[in-house]
Amino acid sequence: MNDNTNKVMSAREAVRRFIQDGDELIIGNYTVGTCTELIYEICRQNKKNFTLYSQSGILDVDIMVNAGCVDRLVTTYVMRSGGKAGGGAVERALQAGTIEMEDYTNFNYNARLVAGMHGMTFIQVLEGVMATDLFRKRGFMGEDKYRVIKCPYTGKEILTVPAVNPDVCIVHVQRADKYGNAQYWGALGSVAAAALCSKRIIVSCEEIVEHDVVRQSPHFTIIPAFRVNAVVEVPWGAHPTEVLGHYNRDQFFYGMFTKANTRADTVKAWMDEWVYGCSDREAYIDRYAARFGMGMLDRLRARSFYSAPANYGAAFTSAWDESGRERSMGLTLEEIEQRLAEKGMLYE
Amino acid sequence: MSKGYTLNELLIITCAKEIKDYQNVILGVGLPTTAGALAKALFAPHATLMMESGIIDFEPLVPLNHIADAHSCRGFSYATDLFTAFTMTYRGFVDVCFLGVGQIDKFGNLNTTCIGDYYHPTLRLPGSGGAADFIAYAKKTVLTLRGGQFVEKLDYFTSAGYLEGGDSRDQSGLFPKGSGPSMLLTTKGVFRFHPETREMYLAQIHPGVTVDDVRKDVPWDLKVSPDLTQTDRPTDEEIEFVRRFAPTESVGRSLRTELAIENALNRAKRRGKA
Repeated sequence: MNDNTNKVMSAREAVRRFIQDGDELIIGNYTVGTCTELIYEICRQNKKNFTLYSQSGILDVDIMVNAGCVDRLVTTYVMRSGGKAGGGAVERALQAGTIEMEDYTNFNYNARLVAGMHGMTFIQVLEGVMATDLFRKRGFMGEDKYRVIKCPYTGKEILTVPAVNPDVCIVHVQRADKYGNAQYWGALGSVAAAALCSKRIIVSCEEIVEHDVVRQSPHFTIIPAFRVNAVVEVPWGAHPTEVLGHYNRDQFFYGMFTKANTRADTVKAWMDEWVYGCSDREAYIDRYAARFGMGMLDRLRARSFYSAPANYGAAFTSAWDESGRERSMGLTLEEIEQRLAEKGMLYE
Repeated sequence: MSKGYTLNELLIITCAKEIKDYQNVILGVGLPTTAGALAKALFAPHATLMMESGIIDFEPLVPLNHIADAHSCRGFSYATDLFTAFTMTYRGFVDVCFLGVGQIDKFGNLNTTCIGDYYHPTLRLPGSGGAADFIAYAKKTVLTLRGGQFVEKLDYFTSAGYLEGGDSRDQSGLFPKGSGPSMLLTTKGVFRFHPETREMYLAQIHPGVTVDDVRKDVPWDLKVSPDLTQTDRPTDEEIEFVRRFAPTESVGRSLRTELAIENALNRAKRRGKA
C-alpha cells in the first residue's frame, strides 16, 4: 500500500503534521547539505523533547540543542566552535546537565540505521572499539548500547548494536518529484539509510522536478516515493551548508554562526535574528540579501558539470514492430487471433 | 636562497611524504586532505584518495572543507556510502589513514572525545567520528597533533593505538596483525613507535626546535632515537604547490578566518549594506 499522491507542502505544514514532541528524530544528512530550513521550522514551532540522531553534528545539531528541543543525543561527532575557547551548544548542554548523550563510531552508528532499514533487530559491527571507552562508557542506553554475542558459525565473540527505527527523518536533497521520489548525489554518507530506517520521512529539496526526470535517472533516487510523507521545495534550503550542483558552503555566514555559537548569549542573538526572526526560508534569504547583498549568494552558485548521461534505452518499447507485426511471430494481432480460432483455442 | 615556509606548510609536506604511490589512502579533515593533494600531485600519482563519506578516487582542486566535500573536486570515480567505506577498511583494502589527535598516550592510544569527566566534560571534543574504526583496521595510521596534548592517562579512550604496549594490540585479537599508528606528526617533530615495546620515541625534530622543547610537552621520560634527524626542509616546488593549492592552509585557520570575515564585511560595506 502507498499514498503516492501529490505530497508537496510547506515546511510549516510538514513539520506540524509529521513531527511530534518526544519523537525519535533523525537528521538524514551527513556533514554536507543539511536540512537547515526544516530544522529552523522545528525550532520555530517550539517542538521539543526529541531523542536526536545525527551521524555527524555540524551547525544542524547545535542549532537544535541551542533551541532546547533535544533531551537525548545519539551521534559520533560534535561540532566545536572555537578551538579551546568555546565549545558549542552540545558542550554547554552537557555541562548544564540538560542533555544525555550516547557516543558511537561512525560505522557503529551507521550500522544501527542499516539494521533498522533492513528490518533486522541488531547487527554485527566492527569489534575494535571493545578496547575503548566507546564500549565501556554507557549513557542512557546502558547495556543496550553494545552487546557481545558468540558467533554461531565461527564461535568467535562478536560485537553488536541494536537496530534503530526513528519516528521521523528530516533530509535535504537536490531534487524530488511531487510524489516523493528523492534524488541525491555527491557524498552519500548514511543519507539513504537514515531515511529508510525511519517510520516517517520529510524530504526538502532544492527543486521539484517532473516525474519523468526521475524515471530517466533512477540511479539518483535514494528514497522511493512510497516511503515519503512530505515533499517541501526550498531553494537555498541547506544554506549556509552546501548542495552539490546548486551552491557552495557560505564560509562567511557559517563563520558568523560558529563565532556566535561559542557563547550562549551571542548564539541566542543569532538564533533570534536568523531562525525565529524569519517566518520561512524566503524571509531568511530576503534578510540575507538586505544585510549582505544578493551578490554574496550569487558568488556561491554552482557552475555546470553534468554527469555523463546513462543510456536507459532499449531496442524497442513495444511488442509490435513498425508494420504492426509481433516481433517474434511476425503476425499482426488479427492474424494471431485468426490462428487461435483455427486451432480451437478461443472459448466462447 | 630557497623560499621561506610556514609551520603549516612544513607539516603538510612532511605528512604528504607518508603516502606512497599506488596506496589506497583515507584522508581525514584538515591538514591530511591538503597533504593528500600534494602527494597525488608530486609523489604518488597513482594513489587512490578516499574519504569516509563515500567519495572515492578524487582529485581535489581546492582545499576541502570537510570529509564530505565533493565541491572541491571535479567529480570522482566511485560514489559509495559510509557503511561501505568502513567495511572496505575492515576487509583490509586501506593502506594508510590519517587522523587528528586530541590527547595521546605513550602507546599511541587516542582521545578525541572529551577533556575532564565524560559525563560532565570540561571540554567536549568532537568524538570518534570514524577515528576508532579506521585506526583499528587501516594497515597503518598516521597521526597529526596540533592543538592536542601528550598525557600519561587519557581522559577518555576513544581510539586504540598499541593498548598497553608490547604485543598487547596483536594479542587482543581485535585488530589485524601489524596494524596501528606508524607515526605521530606534531608542530615540533615526528615520533615513531618502537617495534617491540611499541612506546613512542622522538625520531625527527623540525628545524629550529630542540629536544628540550619537545620534552616540555611530554609528561613521561621521552625516549629519543639515537639516530635523531632533522625534518627535511621543504623544497621550493613543494612550498609552491601548497601555497598555490591551499593558500588558506598555508596561512592557518585563525588568521584565515579573521581575514575572510574582514574581507566579507568590507565588501558589504563598499556596497553600503552592512
